[in-house]
Amino acid sequence: MRVVAALLVVLGAAIAIAAGTVVASQTTSGVQPWGNELADNFVFAKALPFVAGLGVAFGLLGALLAGRARRTRHGHVRRFSRATVIGHWVITVGFLLALPTGVWQYLGGILDVNAPIPLYLFYRVHYIGAAIILFSVAYFLTYWWVTGHRSLLPPRGEWRHHLRNFAHELPPPVGHRVGRLLRLHLGGRPAEVGQFTYYETAFSFPTWAFALGLITITGLIKAMRYVIPVPGPVLYGASTLHVAAMVMLVLKVLDHLRYVFARWPLMVAMTTTWVTDGYARLHHPGWRHRGDESEAA
Amino acid sequence: MRRVVAALGLVWALLNVVVASFFVSGAFTAHTAQKEGILAQLSLLLGGVAIEVLASFVAWQAWRLFRHRVSE
Repeated sequence: MRVVAALLVVLGAAIAIAAGTVVASQTTSGVQPWGNELADNFVFAKALPFVAGLGVAFGLLGALLAGRARRTRHGHVRRFSRATVIGHWVITVGFLLALPTGVWQYLGGILDVNAPIPLYLFYRVHYIGAAIILFSVAYFLTYWWVTGHRSLLPPRGEWRHHLRNFAHELPPPVGHRVGRLLRLHLGGRPAEVGQFTYYETAFSFPTWAFALGLITITGLIKAMRYVIPVPGPVLYGASTLHVAAMVMLVLKVLDHLRYVFARWPLMVAMTTTWVTDGYARLHHPGWRHRGDESEAA
Repeated sequence: MRRVVAALGLVWALLNVVVASFFVSGAFTAHTAQKEGILAQLSLLLGGVAIEVLASFVAWQAWRLFRHRVSE
């Protein structure tokens, strides 16, 4: 199976390189009368299926390699698989390229100002970042689909349980408000925290998934507008929601940084894959009580 | 490493404060009102304030991380 996955990755990479070469030769042929911005848009739109396909191929490889990794080593337990860590930092690069350039495109219009750098360069970097994000989305979806990892989401039928304990993890005044708003019963002791905190399962990951899904779908509609006809109202709606998703992601990145800066061992886990046993027993007792059988996410 | 990450976090937070201030000031310009309408103005205001608040939390946590006052 691993050989098949490796072959698929090689095949996916070969197809992507071939597609890239064809797209580049079309763009540099001088046949099309497009300006830089429109030419970049066409390159991006034509590359999208291949970028997504490459993400699927690498996601498959990551899933198959993840199953071979050790789950514990002396004094440590694996919180994330190597595939997740690599995917996390790849999508981070995508964010670092796509978010600031996207914010500038929006703010430039709002403030009615022009940067000293030509606008098409902002778009070019934005498209590169967006392609990396699309690759990562395809990569993670394939990885989770093949491995069956669902530990970052509440299991079916346990949403209220996770939301209730998420409310318990919040500062009391905020937690009570959230509890009232969602009609949660906050009495009794909160449940033990498992591999992931209830903040992560009930709030953080679902909102990441929503914002990423929204920006990907709306971004695809916007990118394809010169390739296939998109009705005006659909394009207007997609553009508006794309900006809304961008603001959501700006907020999500800040919230994520706030959370992990206060929990340095989790930052370490997102680079080394490991957390110390002591940290896991103290902050994730429900995870460690289950023994060492929980798989790294 | 911890201090480098904290310093980068501080820079990111400060950049977001600048962005937030543009959002908030953009909410009150005549240009936005004419071109985008009241809903966009409200969105800019709320988005800007939310970014400002979260960026200040990040700055605070980054500062604590820089000073090594974080849970182990």
